[in-house]
Amino acid sequence: MEFSELIKTATVEDVLLSRQGLPDVRGTLCITSHHLLLSSRPRGDLELWLLIRNVDAVEKRVCGSSGSITLRCKDLKVLQLEIPGTEECLNVASSIEALSSVDSVMMLYPFFHRPPSLRLRQGWHPCAPERLFQQLAAQTSRWRLSAVNRDFSACPSYPPAVIVPAAVADDTVAKAARFRQGGRFPVLSYFHAKNGTALLRSSQPLPGPKRRRCLEDEQLLGTVVAEGEDNATTPLSPCRGRPLQESFARLVEACGEPAPSVERWLGRLDSSRWLGHVKAALSTACLAAQCLDREGCSVLVHGAEGTDTTLLVTALAQLILQPACRTLEGFQALLEREWIQVRVVFVMWRRVRVPAHLGALTQPPHGQAGHPFQLRCARSAASPARGKREAPVFLLFLDCVWQLSRQFPFSLEFGEQLLLTLFDNAYASAYGTFLCNSEKERRLCRLRERTPSLWARLEQPEEKHKYLNPLYSHNPLPLWPCGQPQGIQLWHAIPVPERRAQLRPAPSLAGFFLRWIRPCRHLDEAWEEMRRLVQGDKSSLEEGEGKGRAGPSPRLGHGTHAETGTGQGPGVGLG
Amino acid sequence: MEFAELIKTPRADNVVLHRPFHLAVEGTLCLTGHHLIFSSRRKDNTEELWLLHSNIDSIEKRFVGSLGTIVIRCKDLRIIQLDIPGMEECLNIASSIEALSTLDSVTLMYPFFYRPMFEVLEDGWSSFLLEQEFELLSSVTNEWRLSCVNKEFSVCPSYPPLVIVPKSVDDEALRKVALFRQGGRFPVLSYYHKKNGMAMMRSSQPLTGTNGRRCKEDEKLVNATLRSGRRGFVIDTRPLTVAQQARAKGGGFEQEVHYPQWRRIHKCIERFNILQESFIKLVEACNDQSHNMDRWLSKLEASNWLTHIKELLTAACLAAQCIDREGASVLVHGSEGTDSTLQVTSLAQIILDPRCRTIRGFEALVVREWLQAGHPFQQRCAQSAYSNSKQKWEAPVFLLFLECVWQIHRQFPCSFEFNEHFLILLFEHAYASQFGTFLGNNESERAKLKLPQKTMSLWSWVNRPEELSRFQNPLYEANSLVIWPSVAPQSLQLWEGVFLRWNRTSRFLEEAEEERIHIIKYNKELQAKVNALRRQLAEMETDGEVQQDGP
Repeated sequence: MEFSELIKTATVEDVLLSRQGLPDVRGTLCITSHHLLLSSRPRGDLELWLLIRNVDAVEKRVCGSSGSITLRCKDLKVLQLEIPGTEECLNVASSIEALSSVDSVMMLYPFFHRPPSLRLRQGWHPCAPERLFQQLAAQTSRWRLSAVNRDFSACPSYPPAVIVPAAVADDTVAKAARFRQGGRFPVLSYFHAKNGTALLRSSQPLPGPKRRRCLEDEQLLGTVVAEGEDNATTPLSPCRGRPLQESFARLVEACGEPAPSVERWLGRLDSSRWLGHVKAALSTACLAAQCLDREGCSVLVHGAEGTDTTLLVTALAQLILQPACRTLEGFQALLEREWIQVRVVFVMWRRVRVPAHLGALTQPPHGQAGHPFQLRCARSAASPARGKREAPVFLLFLDCVWQLSRQFPFSLEFGEQLLLTLFDNAYASAYGTFLCNSEKERRLCRLRERTPSLWARLEQPEEKHKYLNPLYSHNPLPLWPCGQPQGIQLWHAIPVPERRAQLRPAPSLAGFFLRWIRPCRHLDEAWEEMRRLVQGDKSSLEEGEGKGRAGPSPRLGHGTHAETGTGQGPGVGLG
Repeated sequence: MEFAELIKTPRADNVVLHRPFHLAVEGTLCLTGHHLIFSSRRKDNTEELWLLHSNIDSIEKRFVGSLGTIVIRCKDLRIIQLDIPGMEECLNIASSIEALSTLDSVTLMYPFFYRPMFEVLEDGWSSFLLEQEFELLSSVTNEWRLSCVNKEFSVCPSYPPLVIVPKSVDDEALRKVALFRQGGRFPVLSYYHKKNGMAMMRSSQPLTGTNGRRCKEDEKLVNATLRSGRRGFVIDTRPLTVAQQARAKGGGFEQEVHYPQWRRIHKCIERFNILQESFIKLVEACNDQSHNMDRWLSKLEASNWLTHIKELLTAACLAAQCIDREGASVLVHGSEGTDSTLQVTSLAQIILDPRCRTIRGFEALVVREWLQAGHPFQQRCAQSAYSNSKQKWEAPVFLLFLECVWQIHRQFPCSFEFNEHFLILLFEHAYASQFGTFLGNNESERAKLKLPQKTMSLWSWVNRPEELSRFQNPLYEANSLVIWPSVAPQSLQLWEGVFLRWNRTSRFLEEAEEERIHIIKYNKELQAKVNALRRQLAEMETDGEVQQDGP
């Protein structure tokens, strides 16, 4: 397939672009294989540079000889294009539709994107278990790195290297693998160094109708668990994919409503149930972390189909317990380990036995490793539950991390900007990091060799500072989040000094869900006035610099701030 | 009366104090005339709690065997619990607290006994005089004059002795207008918008009654603020139906026939028991321990608190818009003109006037638009959200205003010189204080009580440099613009600093705030260094040029 076949009209003149909170712009619209560009007409400024993959839904309306297209983006931005000429309008709409839903991974932008400052292969880390093991080996000798899966023979969906108890031999592991669905035998996810407890994950056991046992499996788990622990299981009901997607869609719809009454807004916020999901995820993670830290129990997390939220539970539990996960680098490693490379699902377990009824409830997992980003993040809030496979599980995780960062403003090295960037890139990216559904697919597509890594970009010094939390200081303690509903808030922005908030009239309104929406005309007016003020300041800065040559100018100090502000330009939203 | 008569058991040992997010502490409880004092005797960690009796909103006692428990709910929304061994001691202490926290006589209140431990640099009682305000005004316009028609509080008992009125209206006319307005509250200047010379006035409702009485002097007074050929806006804080019903009781509104240059706009700002009930419901929801998200959100919704915020902000924005955008003068009133009227006029000034966003300017605003304008603080703030008494005149009118300021502050974090703590401080002191500032219902009562002579002013204390530094917003950079807040429900948030203050661990949030302040200070220092170096460089460059151009 050639992109040119999909692009029926490549350029249209005299297109009017409207966006929330920004003045309308008229200019020339261009469609390239991966981007939608709009350059304003008299001056040729590039006003829009949109990755077409970011488009979630296209709505077109034709009236008379012109048409309008509304683009709902995956990052919740909404754009409107007024296009003269019915045919052009329909062509543009269908081109965007086709280009935004290209099936083949290899056609996506990361395979074409070659940022000048990055080398390919840079930022693609060695396999996560190996990295984890390096740290682990320093703390305990009870675990070892096993190559039992080096040719993917024990478990096709596991990485080649896995961490298993040191006391268990490879052939025992291989036998245990046969007792588990898809061969996903119990492996170490997290070792709690404080008291030597472990968070493990696996798939469900296959006892069958005859209640078959597997001594090797029991032996494997038995080596992990200390004697005399209680036998309770905790029933958990993390939200399944589809209700979560609906919840997300409802919340976004409520956020975008122009002028609701307070009752209506709170009613819609309530009926979206999003905050309830956030609360449930946080308290479940808390529970898992408590079992490890307070009760000194090991925890096994294993799979049932569809319950993807459980993923975020294991990742959150680690964030709660382990200070190393709270640095920028540690958080990246956590994401690689828990989200990108291995897919797990969750059932609480505190000893060897898994109750039979859970076996009945569970269904076979897909044969995938890692969170199936490509399936889950194919569509965002504008297309409610179109496919069964989409679910904003990752967003829910990011929201929970944001809640943690709000409750513990010192303890995370990264700031809100990182969470927003991760969301954007999971849904539409110029980088290969979140592409594909499994390690196997990733190898087939040769992502490492052929696409740039998001991590490499984040590690560049000029990028990195944007994502750091200026308040960070190392906190060796677990972060027990507040589970009260009163303590959980819709993701809004936290003003930090560096953001020069006064140049953006309402940063605290933004956050994730409301970041493109400035619901009141007053704010737009204020924004305009601010812009004028800033420009005024800038010109007086230039004046000041002129004077600076002749003699000292007291205005220089203020001018520098103003300059950073205008440098961002009016095109920058609140986010 | 002697306080000693009310205190049957002045001291109890082995009392255990419980507070949310704190470990229980054992110590000694002492009652004095104005304070409940708890001190723990542990060597490693001495702790003292001083609670003003006037801060106590309600108490509840329970017994398990001979161990009594007193739950104290405070007006600042804190809840503490004391376990007191001995039934008699517990009963005595409970009844003393009850008696001492509900003293009838103002002159028995703590401010009359409080002797400050600090040096008074500036007497807050004379920090904000209307004369100074008028001086500022007369430097930009001569259309107004200072009238002392109310010198003896005879024309309007709830107005201060001095008021600002249009120059063209004499005192005789003012007396007549006062008879036409409820409680004698004739229209006076609230705010003058220098940018375009428009004025905001406030008053109470006109007493038109059912037969449409009119008052020529009143018409002349309000028209005096209009430019020729321009219209003005009357913002009535009551819905039209309520305003119409008011006529049956002798009240009413400005009728088009008699005020042809004025357009009337009706808003719906709730007062009295509706507001008080909303407050009670909200606080109850915040204290709900059921850990259920749906329940919390639906209780929050049912309290209607955020709706009140939205309505009030909308009305204030409207008033500000009429003045700034439409270039029209505005008259604001409801019924009495002592509650919703003041909320609207003061919030509109926050939006319009950068001076009101400074610490001193905000203090002046509170003095001018609330204390001198006759908001009955003593009635409104007698009880808070935990009170059982359903008296009609209690209402969190001032708290609602403070919360609206907080909402605007949150949207424009850099435009205010003060921080959230300053607003919380005012909330606390309006309800219970060692200072006399918020005592009495109007200036006339304050004069009779001789508050300036007998009590200390809150401003005397707040405006000392060491206290001021606690209330400064590190992000502040003077913003000379009108700031238009968003009133969409999506941008409103519950004021955690007040409503969730005692049931969350705020330690980290406060530390974070301190750290932010620190970072900003450090940034400023660095900036100063950069500027100095730049100057030095510029000087060296010019020197170098001089040398090159030289021989």
